[in-house]
Amino acid sequence: MLRRLLLGLVTVVLVSVIIFAGVEALPGDSCTAYLGRDAFGQRLANCRVELGLDRSAVARYLNWAAGAMQGDFGVAANAGKNIAAVVGDRLKNTLLLAFCAFLVGVPTALLLGVVSALRRDKPLDLLISTISIFAMTIPEFVSATLLILVFSIWLGWVPGIVMASAGSPASAFFPEIILPVVVLAMVMTAHISRTVRSSVIEVMEGDYVQMAVLKGVPYWRIVFRHALPNALLPTINVVALTIAWLLGGVVVIEKVFNYPGLGRLMIDAISERDLPVVQAIALILASVYVGVNLAADLLTMALNPRLRTLRSRR
Amino acid sequence: MKFKLCAVALVVMLGAPSAYGQSGTFRQAHEVGSGAASDLDPISKGRVFQITEKIMSRLVRPSLDGKPSADLAVSWSANADATVWTFKLREGVKFHNGKVFDAEDVVYSLGRVQDPKLDSPARATIKMIEKIEALDKSTVRMTLSGSFADLPLQLTDYRLRMIPVGSGDTVKTSGIGTGPFKVEKFDAQGVTVLVANADYFEGPPGLARIEMVGIPDAQARLQALLGGQLDMEVAISPQSRALIERSNRHKLQQIPTGNWRGITFRTDVKPFDDVRVRRAIRLAVDRKGLLDLAVAGAGAVGCDTPVGPLDQYRLDKICPQDVAKAKALLAEAGYPNGIDIELQVATIEAVWPALAEAFQQQVAAAGVRVKINQVPSDGYWSQVWMKKDATMTRWGERPADAVLNEVYRGGASWNESHFKDAKFDAILDAARRELDFDKRKARYIEAQEYLWENGGTVVAFHVTVLVGLSARVKGLDAVENNTIRWHLVKVD
Repeated sequence: MLRRLLLGLVTVVLVSVIIFAGVEALPGDSCTAYLGRDAFGQRLANCRVELGLDRSAVARYLNWAAGAMQGDFGVAANAGKNIAAVVGDRLKNTLLLAFCAFLVGVPTALLLGVVSALRRDKPLDLLISTISIFAMTIPEFVSATLLILVFSIWLGWVPGIVMASAGSPASAFFPEIILPVVVLAMVMTAHISRTVRSSVIEVMEGDYVQMAVLKGVPYWRIVFRHALPNALLPTINVVALTIAWLLGGVVVIEKVFNYPGLGRLMIDAISERDLPVVQAIALILASVYVGVNLAADLLTMALNPRLRTLRSRR
Repeated sequence: MKFKLCAVALVVMLGAPSAYGQSGTFRQAHEVGSGAASDLDPISKGRVFQITEKIMSRLVRPSLDGKPSADLAVSWSANADATVWTFKLREGVKFHNGKVFDAEDVVYSLGRVQDPKLDSPARATIKMIEKIEALDKSTVRMTLSGSFADLPLQLTDYRLRMIPVGSGDTVKTSGIGTGPFKVEKFDAQGVTVLVANADYFEGPPGLARIEMVGIPDAQARLQALLGGQLDMEVAISPQSRALIERSNRHKLQQIPTGNWRGITFRTDVKPFDDVRVRRAIRLAVDRKGLLDLAVAGAGAVGCDTPVGPLDQYRLDKICPQDVAKAKALLAEAGYPNGIDIELQVATIEAVWPALAEAFQQQVAAAGVRVKINQVPSDGYWSQVWMKKDATMTRWGERPADAVLNEVYRGGASWNESHFKDAKFDAILDAARRELDFDKRKARYIEAQEYLWENGGTVVAFHVTVLVGLSARVKGLDAVENNTIRWHLVKVD
């Protein structure tokens, strides 16, 4: 357990080093990005001194890392604002988006997965499977653009673009948040429902289900009492991966829908070469990824007595 | 899938969409060009000019036909050699914070532009002004370092806006000026709210409220316009033009501008240091062809003049392609087998790649072999442009005098072709001294003819901006946004 936690920490540190090196390797820095055509001579030199870019990359990284360990992420290079404040609002918005998508996506996925497993190879299953595969394979920016075209531009039912400010309360994002949630939920639903389907099919073929059938247990009771609890176990890991994907995968969605979340902030910060902001976001995303995966493993272990005993015996 | 459709339908039935589209509010987007460093100081690098143009006034502004006309200055006059100018100011004008506008504010606002510590990008536009004095509350005198007949035109620069004396430290977020709208809330990356200034000196504005939304992504802005979330989007791409034209909820304005796209060659390196090579490249180009291929004809072509098609000093001349003559010139310069060019192209400007390829095809006939080198957009201005031998370029609209001096005068910091020619500089000096309009015009024309013969830049075309509007917008002047009279705009 402790070993896993340590491994997670190492991952997070490595990610921050790689991100730092990556942004550092791009041509230009936050001064050339900000000054544009004015980036030459004294003006450029002054800007670099002001933002501390005249120091070596290693010195800047160590300085940042020392601060970050004490919970001080520094100030955004370009606006001089406190990063915790800038990132805080955006994190809240991304969580709101991910939470809504999760709320819509997971129950839908479970329902569709179970239904198509129980109606295996029947027309309903084929329909659900085909749609899922489409939802999985079409890139999000394509489905996003299509949905905007149909529901916002042609039908005019929902707004296509999010215009609320980053600091607005959650209620201000409705109804603008609907389309991004639908797009995210679509991809999520597709992935999870496929896993649920195969898992339910497998379980329904198990000996104990046959036994139950022979005993004359009612069909719904077999499904809900005996099959589902076993079938859902492998799904937990997929759901965890999907949550982690949600936080990272929203980058594209946020860009397309102009949603003021972490992903858009990340893209903006990279194009502005605002390293402290990029670093802070990378750290958050990496921590979430590691954290969610850890939690999923623990949950699976807790729910599956066999895994638990296996561990302790060793 | 079905479930989600139902969810959407449900929310729609609950009446959600009524949250947008109230009358009296005009919505426009800006691209948050300076990112997190965006502010409302009209002369800073991070100014959001789409907002400052609605909240602050200049001394002089361009009239619809591009001539200097009264804004906060009602009249002006010069001495005989145009070295001392006197401006009479409008009286009884109040800033948004209640302070009365007077000559001290002018001295302060223009003084900030010239302050080396602030290092404003607008500094070069008025560097000929040596002294600015307040003679009384409503009179300002400017003493210049040399003759400059078009000073009023120079003062129409979109950045030279008046702010209250001493407000330099707060203007970045307060945005206090004398314009038709005042700032209620500033949030560059979110929604900036402007409300009508009922005391505006030309009468109360027609709109109650303007919301300026920061949307960096061009595709997202277009979708927001098409979906009715925005009332105006300034740069519709030629490819998207049909979307606006076909919609009965939208209308399209076509605005010829002085913004130009081109290819620049360093006149201080081989082979472009030979004027015959530069002439040959120019003659090998079919500008109408470039215009049609790159932007579907939405623009104006000329003879490599950087001066815009509507500028009163524009050289109007047609320069057809002449491949035979181009070949002859190359041979004469010692390149009978043609030359090789490596052209640096980034995607900062969407039309550059298409423009570069069209250019490559056209000049091949004259024996100019172009190798297109795709470089990253990041760092293009600092590491490629002005450094490599042949690069793509673009410029925003500037008055004739400004663009000729900023881009072509020997030693100017943005002289991208490294063009250094004492004769050319002398023509520009003579133009500035000339007080008679027709004679002055003749000088500027001469300068442009001189560039056609000797310059190092191919000006492919001047862009016609396509502005998409929602059909409910009324009274929006069909001119460049620098000239729009925002107080006349209304929505149904």
